[in-house]
Amino acid sequence: MLAFIWQYFYTSFLRYWFKWVLRHVTGRCELQRICAGYAQGAERTARAEYSLKSSKSELLRSSVDVEENAVESRVAKIIHVKNVKEQKDPAFKKNLQVCLQQITGYKHLFVSVEELRNDVFDSEKEEHESMLLKLWELLMPSVKLESRITKQWGDIGFQGEDPKTDFRGMGMLGLTNLVFFSENYTEEARQVLSHANHPKLGYSYAIVGINLTEMAYSLLKSGELKPHFYNSVAGKPEMKHFHQVYCYLAYEFDKFWIEEEPESIMEFNIYREKFHDKIKKCLLDPEITLILTVDSKNEPVATS
Amino acid sequence: MGLLTILKKMKQKEREMRLLMLGLDNAGKTTILKKFNGEDVSTISPTLGFNIKTLEHRGFKLNIWDVGGQKSLRSYWRNYFESTDGLVWVVDSADRLRLEDCRQELSALLLEERLAGATLLVFANKQDLPGALSKDAIKEALGLDDIQTHHWCIMGCSAITGENLLSGVDWLLDDIAARIFTAD
Repeated sequence: MLAFIWQYFYTSFLRYWFKWVLRHVTGRCELQRICAGYAQGAERTARAEYSLKSSKSELLRSSVDVEENAVESRVAKIIHVKNVKEQKDPAFKKNLQVCLQQITGYKHLFVSVEELRNDVFDSEKEEHESMLLKLWELLMPSVKLESRITKQWGDIGFQGEDPKTDFRGMGMLGLTNLVFFSENYTEEARQVLSHANHPKLGYSYAIVGINLTEMAYSLLKSGELKPHFYNSVAGKPEMKHFHQVYCYLAYEFDKFWIEEEPESIMEFNIYREKFHDKIKKCLLDPEITLILTVDSKNEPVATS
Repeated sequence: MGLLTILKKMKQKEREMRLLMLGLDNAGKTTILKKFNGEDVSTISPTLGFNIKTLEHRGFKLNIWDVGGQKSLRSYWRNYFESTDGLVWVVDSADRLRLEDCRQELSALLLEERLAGATLLVFANKQDLPGALSKDAIKEALGLDDIQTHHWCIMGCSAITGENLLSGVDWLLDDIAARIFTAD
């Protein structure tokens, strides 16, 4: 209760007095102090985001929602309104611009991801079909798919003879992630697939992949991925950066699963939650980046 | 007073029921569970393993087990049979090609000794899809009229719109309650 009152008192009154005093002592506004005081990355951008959102000025508050091409002009307006002397703080403009690109870019990335997720896998669409076949070729280059509807899909971890129903709530986002991983980290993807086909510790490669897409999606939606993107992309994050988060999760989940040695695939949801908690904990570290680093010691698991 | 009566008495006190939800993959089991529980159903991915939800409904504590339906998981189904009061069999009414598969899996379940006392509710799901078979057609295809061993009922439903989910579960609860809570 006391903490709540303090919080209210602080955000409603004290924060402004502090800012006012600091502004006059240092001759710089809060955004300038943030940009100068923290290196580029999650700490700086997250603080700038908070400062903008809790500003009294409508112009500053709405800055976190501007379109991509309006970032530059918005930064100029902020500089004007805040009466920033550019010659005294020449780095400020560029720094704030990067912050704003990251903040607005994150929101736009979610919109694009949501769009791709809502694109339902449709066998009538040639591009969807060819993408599915491409996934097979990337993962199983030496085995020919006998027909489009076949039990072979089970070899890369789909549920039945036709993968189309497996994409469900994740739509084309799920398939695109699977293909991206196989295409850009082909060796790693095949290695993970070989682990997934382990007789005892095995799991359904594609289905687990779709479940991990859901994890990446929910982390993006809740904003928990912000520190990662703010640290790893100096500007607007693109779709490929989201796919890279998926690659990280797919690779790391495989390692996690093998280390934990679950009783059977029926335990999947328990370990999924454990892994989810582990990732969420990592994301609390302001220095975090979820980048897939290939560990050369990661040998195939012995099948004894 | 036998052990069974004591167990029944204990259950009566808590008014607890165990429901097991099974069916082929992509039938809509997880969507039914989430919709019934008031959760978002737009981001569901295939179930590996199982989900369990405990919820209160009409003064009963329901433990609902939703087990993945893909072929390689079906051999694990038997691990969840013990003390099941109600079996919910979920059918994708638009998946005509696998209806025979669906019939076979269900009739195998009905022979299971550990499910002998369970009430059977069949959900003819996906009634919102244009190609969906009616609940009567599903009843016919699964040969439900031949079932002598279990109390059963079939309901057409849609997990997406929520249509008939409540009436189905209510029928199931009434039937189970009539059996286990008023037996003595």
